[in-house]
Amino acid sequence: MIDPIIGDFIDGLLWTFSVSVFSVGVTWKLAVIIFSKRQTDLSVARDSALAGAVKTVFSRFIADKGTAPHIKLHIIAGYMFHLGLFALLLFAAPHISFLDEYLLGFSWPALPHWAFILAAEIAFLGLLMLWLHRMLSRVSRLISTVDDHVASILTFVVMLTGCLALMESFNELRLLHRFCVELLLIYFPFSSLMHAFTFIPSRAFTGAWFGRRGINS
Amino acid sequence: MIKPIFRIKIEQLVRPVFLILLLFVILLQNSHAIDTPQQQGISIKNPGSDLWREVRQRDTAIQGTTQIKSVDSNVLINPQADRWTRFRVDKLINIGFIVLGSVIGVILVFFLLRGRVKIEGGLSGNMVFRFHDFERVLHWVLALVFLFLALTGFTLLFGRTLFIPILGHDIFSLLASSSKEGHNLFGPIFMVSLLMMFISFVKRNIYEKGDLTWLLRGGGMIGKSHVTGGFFNMGEKSWYWLVILIGFAISATGLILLFPSFGQGRIIMELSHVIHVFGAIILITVSFGHMYLGTLGTEGTGESMKTGYVDIKWAEAHHDRWAKHCHDNNLVITADEYARLQGKGKVGYEPVSTTAGESGK
Repeated sequence: MIDPIIGDFIDGLLWTFSVSVFSVGVTWKLAVIIFSKRQTDLSVARDSALAGAVKTVFSRFIADKGTAPHIKLHIIAGYMFHLGLFALLLFAAPHISFLDEYLLGFSWPALPHWAFILAAEIAFLGLLMLWLHRMLSRVSRLISTVDDHVASILTFVVMLTGCLALMESFNELRLLHRFCVELLLIYFPFSSLMHAFTFIPSRAFTGAWFGRRGINS
Repeated sequence: MIKPIFRIKIEQLVRPVFLILLLFVILLQNSHAIDTPQQQGISIKNPGSDLWREVRQRDTAIQGTTQIKSVDSNVLINPQADRWTRFRVDKLINIGFIVLGSVIGVILVFFLLRGRVKIEGGLSGNMVFRFHDFERVLHWVLALVFLFLALTGFTLLFGRTLFIPILGHDIFSLLASSSKEGHNLFGPIFMVSLLMMFISFVKRNIYEKGDLTWLLRGGGMIGKSHVTGGFFNMGEKSWYWLVILIGFAISATGLILLFPSFGQGRIIMELSHVIHVFGAIILITVSFGHMYLGTLGTEGTGESMKTGYVDIKWAEAHHDRWAKHCHDNNLVITADEYARLQGKGKVGYEPVSTTAGESGK
């Protein structure tokens, strides 16, 4: 049904281009953040900055007691979406065989089919709730940008096309999924999706700053 | 002069030809003589026909024996399935088409005749809080998943009839395959959303005194005087219970269809399919009405699921008992404050009461 030229373009040139944009973009953005010039902290260190950084990277996975009761939906839906997506991305059998064949040269055990479906459903429900909350809650709506909506919708479409192509019975569905992934890869470095990488230096920086001052953050 | 090698007389040629002809005539007569009694009385049955008649089993469900132990594994061909297929193709699809088409037509005619139902005296701009963020999120999750399931289900049920002539077999097969995957994937999400909807809204949807009057008066369409309503009126409560009860029926039958290896036989599967489709058609048709009333049909209704607030005049028109409760408890906020809460107000404006509106039920 799809012209072989389009198929070859999606599988070949566009794939190479999107992976290049993603790799260079992410590396460049992280380098800018990490190597940006900052004021030297002249205060006497009261405690280890490194310990504070490491601690904060992990402690921020749990919302603080004061805030948690007000953001229950964010916490539950957020974990549902991110854990589900993590499972889909790294433990789906087609993804593992793709990474093995084209990128890494090794594989690991995949999720059974039922677990894949369950992970997908959890991720979909979480993402839907988060995006709708962004649209419906007046505070979330006011602080959301077009980029946030595009990122949410693009992620949703990538997940959906992937699940629709799950049976691998139609090459067209695989190509559609791959095309959406390529759009996401190109969009990724220029969007809020970068938080997938920046959350670590962000938390570490805050943790180091507080840690050096002996503040329990 | 060349001498002939063989000298053949005419008599020598005629004699064998005559004998062959004679033999042919005798054989022809004999064969006719053999055929005649066969046509008259003896009929030899195709030995395979009895076998296949037994296999087809006609109207009876004859069960054989087999070493394969599973449900219905001892039934080679189930004639009931033929009846179900005919029912699906000849009746179910036609009924679905007629019902869905008719409801769309009725709504269209109603809208053309009645127009948008406006609030008497117009909207005031003063608002009252009705639905929390979580309740609205839940409503839209359920609505979006329901629409997705309706569209994919529609493709699976009507696709052969409707889409193949337009799209062709190749594109339809792709569409049907992805619809099936999508339908199976989002089905359980619908169930979870439905359960959350049930828990969140059940308390306010229990029928109470006065609801029957609302129903008998057609929600105010019959008679001239105003018909009263609480937080939810009888129509909304009935829609809620329809969604919950038929939704759970669709969910249960969907699970039976989704996991055919849990011991259910063919008849249960066929019955589940029929209930699933009929339930879905009922919900979809009523949802058309719900969508119409929430958007085009009634002024001010859509705001409740968009911002969580409704105009107090809307509340007085449709839910007067609840509106009175809001007035009595000082839960009504002004248009300016509402604009400020939506991020559209004047900078520096100090509200009289920021949280009062959100505590009301």
